[in-house]
Amino acid sequence: MRMLRDVLWNLFKGRATVMYPEERGSPPDNFRGRLGFNRDECIGCGLCHRVCPASAIEMENDGRGARPVFHIERCIYCYLCIEVCPTKAIKPGKEYAVVTSRKSDLVVR
Amino acid sequence: MSCLALLFEWLDRKFVAKLQNRVGPKYTGPFGMLQPLADLVKLLSKEDIIPEGTKTFLFNICPVAAVLLLFIANSFVPTVHVEGVLKAEGDLIIILVIITLYLLTIYMAGSAAPSRYSLMGAARAAVMLLGFELPLMFSSLSVGFAAGGFELSKIVAKQFERPFIAGPHLIGFAIFLIAAQAELEKIPFDIPEAETEIVSGWLVELSSWRLAFFRFSKDLELVLLSGLATALYLGGPIGPVIPGLEVLLYPLYFLAKSISVLFLLSLLSTLFARIRLDQFIRLCWRYLIPLTLAYFLAMMWVV
Amino acid sequence: MGVYIPVGPQHPIHPEAILLKLKVEGEQVVDADVDSSFVHRGIEKALEHKTWLQGLYLVERVCGICNVAHSTCYTLNVENLLGVEAPTRAQYLRLVVEELARIHSHMLWLGLLAHLIGFQSLFMLVFRDREKVLDLMEELTGNRITTAYNVVGGVRRDIDPALEHRVRSTLEELRGRVKRYRKLIEEDPSVRARTVNVGILERSEAEELHAVGPVARASGIKYDVRADDPYLVHDEVPFNVVTLETCDAWGRAMVRVEEVLESIDMIMYSLDHIPSGPIRKRVPPVFKVPPGEGIARVEAPRGELFHYAKSDGSERPYRYRMRTPTLANLAALVYMLRRGDRAVYVADVPVIFGSIDPCICCTARVFVLDERGSRVLNLEDLGRSRGR
Ligand code: SF4
Ligand code: SF4
Repeated sequence: MRMLRDVLWNLFKGRATVMYPEERGSPPDNFRGRLGFNRDECIGCGLCHRVCPASAIEMENDGRGARPVFHIERCIYCYLCIEVCPTKAIKPGKEYAVVTSRKSDLVVR
Repeated sequence: MSCLALLFEWLDRKFVAKLQNRVGPKYTGPFGMLQPLADLVKLLSKEDIIPEGTKTFLFNICPVAAVLLLFIANSFVPTVHVEGVLKAEGDLIIILVIITLYLLTIYMAGSAAPSRYSLMGAARAAVMLLGFELPLMFSSLSVGFAAGGFELSKIVAKQFERPFIAGPHLIGFAIFLIAAQAELEKIPFDIPEAETEIVSGWLVELSSWRLAFFRFSKDLELVLLSGLATALYLGGPIGPVIPGLEVLLYPLYFLAKSISVLFLLSLLSTLFARIRLDQFIRLCWRYLIPLTLAYFLAMMWVV
Repeated sequence: MGVYIPVGPQHPIHPEAILLKLKVEGEQVVDADVDSSFVHRGIEKALEHKTWLQGLYLVERVCGICNVAHSTCYTLNVENLLGVEAPTRAQYLRLVVEELARIHSHMLWLGLLAHLIGFQSLFMLVFRDREKVLDLMEELTGNRITTAYNVVGGVRRDIDPALEHRVRSTLEELRGRVKRYRKLIEEDPSVRARTVNVGILERSEAEELHAVGPVARASGIKYDVRADDPYLVHDEVPFNVVTLETCDAWGRAMVRVEEVLESIDMIMYSLDHIPSGPIRKRVPPVFKVPPGEGIARVEAPRGELFHYAKSDGSERPYRYRMRTPTLANLAALVYMLRRGDRAVYVADVPVIFGSIDPCICCTARVFVLDERGSRVLNLEDLGRSRGR
């Protein structure tokens, strides 16, 4: 019977549910989401490729040298690459809904 | 009546969701009102699976019988007038018999399937019957005695001045609600279904239209029991009327009353944890049944 | 007589794959066995192919709910081997996050218990309140569950005054809610009916079966790694080791709820007394660890978690081994299910099973070799040799 107060109280409260697809909460500033990459700042050191625990970074030669390609579907959002990058070429992002029907959307170059 | 059943399921889900700080059905129809219907249609379109070793005849007949029985029972309940759609001598007793028969279909459907879970669920349903059948019967019969007849129309008519709930019949109403909760297999007494123990009990092997029928029969039962409670204790569809407007007002009264009963049932289901079968039987035989008998005898005495 | 009822590997009792083989007579369980070998994931082997730092992120994924415990244990272990110690501020922050994780884990469990006994309202409300802790986690560490907060040499993010304030106010609010739930568990007749005297594990039995964590503490064993072998700043932050003598599922629930309240106090105290300073010692992303062996223990929400590492001097572990608390408690679970001196109903099985707070994904890796017969012993044999 202890529950009675709580449940009746809920009658006068708003819902706790976030109606997700229509209503998206914005993640806090610290949030680790899908990362971004600025190719111009990269010096091709390959450190990110070496540290990535999920092997989500491939190195690919684009004429200027080896540049990383990020496969978001494999990324575990540890941000280790961001931490080690000497030129801060990899940018943190806040996007958390990375669902897509095209695989190419999940590749960050 | 079908609409009413679906409406009641929706109301039940919505209200419980509200009590639990959730949203409940939302997307189908206005406020998700069509969700129960959508669920039914979806179930009907599912693949029909009959597990090997099933007693097919029982398995097929039970869902149909369940729905039919409850349709019949529901037709006796007065909704728009002092009398129900059907009317017979002693129809209260007919309804009570049908409720027991309905449980029989549950038991048979559960034991027709070869699964151990459903067998256990069926056995549990049968054992539970021992617990709540007497309270259900006696609490409604004593109203009949008080009204001097077992016709629902008579009972309703008797309440023109004052519904039975105002007065000593309040106890009967409470007993009826508890027994109805058990009959409906709602939360403190959802022992035969007990999702986390025996998966879904007697429902586990049912699929497609069988499951749809049984689910629908549960909704019908919801209507039946809240309608019955309304008729027995709350004066059915009658109430203060402006002459000439009975046709309009009676259904509204009925709806309002039975929906409040429904809300009471839903509220009850949010308050407790599921109890164990042995605890349920103990609860019934130690408290509920003596109370019922005392109440019944007291009513006889008065009459 | 009696029929076998399989509970699992797919069963609403638990989202993870575990099989309880129950022998049932009517509504009573007469025999039980457990098979937890459905989700062997080969994480220990995989660790041998990752560098020490990469391994951290794999270890974190051993268990979603205990990820903070695992990563704390791993970093402590590696730091030991390296001879590095995290700065004091980092240790305080680790403690804060660890206790936050304990709160959310215990609340998850409480919700789960409510679900197992069919108390849907309690389940919904507890999960609603747990969400607040997860939001705090998200703000503090960058993610709700897999925090990636600890790192060899310290922690990755600092806490700023605004966030600190939010943590305090949220926890203050939570304290009120948890106290209500405590009262509910204490007094609600239906909860009591389902948990009191269910899943009895006497103190001597718990000792013999090496139960850990809340299971042991509810049987009156005052054993908590945080108190007995402080690995962070636990000697500076005061807290009580909650023990109860009831030895049943109800006691386990109470121990956990009390621990949530203790954790809230610990976090408050840590936030008051946290020293300023660096939060991280720089350790290069790829490093070699001097040869040697090391162990670390932490008190995960479910009990004592144990890590063993062996290094051959390279940048990858030579061998890594973990013993998770659920594994330690499985023997007790089997014993509780099939003890002959008390009726165990089928309806009690979820409660007993739930009361050890099982986490199967981190458990399924054991096999024990019987040297004499050179055959693989499974848990069934283990439970038999210990329980009978
Ligand atoms: S965030 Fe982690 S997993 Fe993702 S690409 Fe960077 S290093 Fe790899
Ligand atoms: S670490 Fe930074 S600079 Fe080096 S390859 Fe990766 S992105 Fe480029």
